[in-house]
Amino acid sequence: MNVENQMKKRTTQALGETYVSAANVMATPDAYVRFWIITMLLVLLGLATLKLR
Amino acid sequence: MLLALAQWLAQDVRFFSVFNYITLRTVLAAMTALGISFLVGPTMIRKLAAYKIGQSVRSDGPQTHLVKAGTPTMGGALILTSIAITTLLWGDLQNHYVWVVLLTTLGFGVIGWVDDYRKVVHRNPKGLSAKAKMGWQSIIALLVGFYLWNTASLPANTELIMPFLKFFVFPLSAFLFISLTYLVIVGTSNAVNLTDGLDGLAIMPTVMVSGALAIFAYVAGNAVFSKYLGIPYIPGAGELAVFCGAISGAGLAFLWFNAYPAEVFMGDVGALALGAALGTVAVIVRQELVLFIMGGVFVVEAVSVIIQVASFKLTGKRVFRMAPLHHHYELKGWKETQVVVRFWIITMLLVLLGLATLKLR
Repeated sequence: MNVENQMKKRTTQALGETYVSAANVMATPDAYVRFWIITMLLVLLGLATLKLR
Repeated sequence: MLLALAQWLAQDVRFFSVFNYITLRTVLAAMTALGISFLVGPTMIRKLAAYKIGQSVRSDGPQTHLVKAGTPTMGGALILTSIAITTLLWGDLQNHYVWVVLLTTLGFGVIGWVDDYRKVVHRNPKGLSAKAKMGWQSIIALLVGFYLWNTASLPANTELIMPFLKFFVFPLSAFLFISLTYLVIVGTSNAVNLTDGLDGLAIMPTVMVSGALAIFAYVAGNAVFSKYLGIPYIPGAGELAVFCGAISGAGLAFLWFNAYPAEVFMGDVGALALGAALGTVAVIVRQELVLFIMGGVFVVEAVSVIIQVASFKLTGKRVFRMAPLHHHYELKGWKETQVVVRFWIITMLLVLLGLATLKLR
């Protein structure tokens, strides 16, 4: 196993299951950006609670 | 349409009056546009790929981009469809500003669509000629300028305000107002188009700037907030927040598919239209100079092309390794994703600076 594969294995072990399964399917930058988009939407939802009550 | 329905239902059920709030409809517009794009996106990308509507890559560009050849393009049609449907659903269709921005956006979208269609389907590398493209853009922008000048009911509608300087307000003559409107709309449209050269580079700054413009529109359309913050009160401008919400939602959903490595490109149909939309909203809410600050990345990209062309024609030397600016940094050794995310960070800072002008004046 080369160094790159060893590092990848270590990184994936350190991260949660959701990321790992997404990263296996998508190219990595894709996964990052899509998780950022989901976070943005959740932040918006959180901010909407200021008004929607 | 849904607003009219809600207002009708509110006569019997009071709950439906909640839809009169612009803030709620802005959030709902963003969510609706996002949902439409997510639903239609995958099918549209498959269709574009099936019809072989693939991007051609400039041979003199960075070599790393050659692998992008054939990626489906004209994805901007997805953004425009989402924005149009959402605005018609959640916007107040009695408001003339809503129609001005929507028709301008679609008009520029048609110009971009013809250009893309000729390039991709007719295999004509030049697409629409530069003269024809600029001519049609000019006609639409001048029509918008004339219309806004003729329908201006308050001095505030046609004054130029300076960011950070509360008491510097310049009343514009018809000629200056229409010229400024023309420059802002056509300039922003082409600047966004030039920026659209890397995966996700144009769409995320567009989302951020439209989000900030939604706040400006809401504040400008509110008599109390605009007076408190010392910015011009533009009756009816608040409704543009719904339109800006739709841009942000559709843009975020498009980024899902456009993130590196992109599954689809927006093409001129998206870039020209989105730029024109931002420019038109900025003109109506009288924040042209703030748009110049917040859209700094678009401005710098456009200026880099102008400098490169001028320098090469005058001295025979190039200032940048390649124009627009994002290619310069790529050739300097930055990875595509590094250029994109760093330009996003710069836009975030510029948008914050633009928003700070609301209070710091």
